[in-house]
Amino acid sequence: MSSAFRVTQRSLGARALSGLQTQLGQLGRIQEQLSSGRLIAKPSDSPTGTVVAMQSRGEIRANEQYGRNASDGLGWLGMADTTLMSSLTSIRRVRDLALQGASTGSSSQTSREALAQEVDSLRDGLLQLANTQYLGRPIFGGTTTGAVAYDTTSGTYAGDTNHVARTVGDNTSVEVAFTGPEVFGPAGSDLFAVVGQIADHLRNDPASLQGDLTALDASMQNVLGRLSEVGARYSRVDAMKTAADDRVLDLKTRLSEVENVDLPKTIMDLQMQQVAYQAALGATSKVITPSLVDFLR
Amino acid sequence: MSTFSGLSIALSSLYAQRRGLDVTGQNVANANTDGYSRQRVLLESVGGPQTPAMWSTWSGAGSGVRAADVERIRDMFLEQRAQAEHGEQSRLDTQQTTFSRLEQLFDEPGDLGLAQAFGDFWNSWHDLANAPGDMAARKQVLQRASAVTDTLNGAYTQVATEWSGARDQLSALAHEVNATAASVAQLNGTIAAAVQSGVPANELMDKRDQLVMRLSDLVGATSRSGDSGTVDVYLGGTSLVRGNIYDTLNVTGPSDFQSLGSGSVSLEWATGAFKAETPSGQAGGLLTTLNDTLPRYVSRLDEVTNALVTQVNTAHAAGYDLNGAAGQPLFDPAGTTAQNVRVVLFDASLVAASGTPSLDGSGNPVGNLDGSNADLLGKIATQTGSPDKVYRAMIVDLGVESQGVTRRAEVQASVVGQADADRESQSGVNLDEEMVNMLAFQRAYEAAARLMSTVDSTLETLINMAR
Repeated sequence: MSSAFRVTQRSLGARALSGLQTQLGQLGRIQEQLSSGRLIAKPSDSPTGTVVAMQSRGEIRANEQYGRNASDGLGWLGMADTTLMSSLTSIRRVRDLALQGASTGSSSQTSREALAQEVDSLRDGLLQLANTQYLGRPIFGGTTTGAVAYDTTSGTYAGDTNHVARTVGDNTSVEVAFTGPEVFGPAGSDLFAVVGQIADHLRNDPASLQGDLTALDASMQNVLGRLSEVGARYSRVDAMKTAADDRVLDLKTRLSEVENVDLPKTIMDLQMQQVAYQAALGATSKVITPSLVDFLR
Repeated sequence: MSTFSGLSIALSSLYAQRRGLDVTGQNVANANTDGYSRQRVLLESVGGPQTPAMWSTWSGAGSGVRAADVERIRDMFLEQRAQAEHGEQSRLDTQQTTFSRLEQLFDEPGDLGLAQAFGDFWNSWHDLANAPGDMAARKQVLQRASAVTDTLNGAYTQVATEWSGARDQLSALAHEVNATAASVAQLNGTIAAAVQSGVPANELMDKRDQLVMRLSDLVGATSRSGDSGTVDVYLGGTSLVRGNIYDTLNVTGPSDFQSLGSGSVSLEWATGAFKAETPSGQAGGLLTTLNDTLPRYVSRLDEVTNALVTQVNTAHAAGYDLNGAAGQPLFDPAGTTAQNVRVVLFDASLVAASGTPSLDGSGNPVGNLDGSNADLLGKIATQTGSPDKVYRAMIVDLGVESQGVTRRAEVQASVVGQADADRESQSGVNLDEEMVNMLAFQRAYEAAARLMSTVDSTLETLINMAR
């Protein structure tokens, strides 16, 4: 009476128990996934998935920041756009007045004085526009800590030549403001000097107004050129913002593919595991009971 | 040949079958006892006189049966294999626990770990680049920097606590090993005395083997059969228990994590004070945890910290603060370990956001609202060798290593299950078999009784004949 492998009641029991425990462990794992909603709870669940998850999270954070940076840049550029538009209207009015003064050379000193006074007030208005602030900073003042880009009385530039830039993408940085001299011309011959000269010449030397008009046209062209540049940058930053927002969406989808459970599949798995566990329980209860003891009397 | 020898043969059978029934009873009673090995009565036929002598007559029928011994059925080789596998499993389980603790400690991937703290820190630089003059943005940078250092310090403290826990566990383990070894030695002595005087000591041996198995679990001990039913227990090649003599183990080496650099923790023999070999068992796992795993991950964390401190400080020094002065160290340059890292800049206006120096009319430096240096600091995250990347590599390595250990532990668990099943199939009690044996002894007993009554009636016939 010898068999290759003796089986005892205890070993049967131990084996059944270890089987049940494996089943229950799997059931627990699926239940944990379902209740946390996460497929990767710790790095060892999937080291490669962990890399993807960590990278995606980092990139999501970076791109959300790029979106915020771009919004801020759009604020600067939008402010520059409206300011330059208003400046152009004022410059055109100055041009009209200078033209009027030049063409009516025979007109009286009083009428030209009236023209000069309007030009003076337009110059003040232009200076005010040049000192437009965004979030407490003059937008044409470079990186100055002061409140104005141009001195409101003398009209001299008070800012510096540094540029304000915003990072709106990986290695993509866009300048979101121009310095005063870039927009209004170099110190000494800038827009405010030209307009001041026009007022002066209207009062004292109408004959020189023709030359001033040329200088004013040059300034206006410069402002126009900056305006179109501002528009171009605005649309570029806007496009980058959209790209960053889209990227965040893509990355979140990717992250959830890696990290989150597939709900229908997991619920299905849970059902199957439950059935398997119940089957194992049923089989165990049937297998263990009978022994020779039951049949002896 | 004696007239009554038939009676004595029947009597010897009655005794022997009764002994068989007793052993069967013992087996059935211990069907579920841990560590019990089934026993079997060895019956032996008793023959006639072995040497011919004058006046000695013998019918040649033999003179009955006797229960020579009660044998304990246990295979020493299966036992040794199970000891080795149990030791290995304990080692892997201990290591697995360490790794799962480490994984819990770093809490990745998630929204609460160090990766998140780094991300928040870099983003605060971007926010500062957007508003270099804003004191709130400046303070936010400093607070996020503190959050990073707090996370690093916290991780270090937790690892150090984990280390102390493992160290305490090792001390407790050494005590248990010493007590268990003493018990084994004592049992060995008792067993030897019993065996030498011919008394069965099966139950004592079961108890002793259980203790030896416990030693395998604890320190990966292996055993060899010794004289007179004793067992010698070995660690590596050195004997822990030999007969009734045993040696003890002491834990040596640093007692806290900070002083680990001065040497490693090990188990030492009390006699001779040389290192005990414990490649497996819980002790093996704990020693790996203490001397390798935990220090290794702390040094990985130090690499992350070093990258953070040097890269941020270098970039910060290249910038200019709100007063136009060059950036001072943001992190303590001396604290490049996870334990010591700390923020040393507390004045928010000293955060060097600007990338260009400015001078006032008289040539003195003044601050400006340039944010280009803050922008550069925010971009450290994407540089090669950035702290984020070093940390990510560390987490991935942790994941891979942990997964490896978990898998090996799972495989080992099934190996141990197989080894235990083999032992059980050798030594376990099968109730069916015991029932069959019981029937056999019962029938034999009945037959012997029958024989006795037959001999009795035969003798009666003989005695009545003379009436």
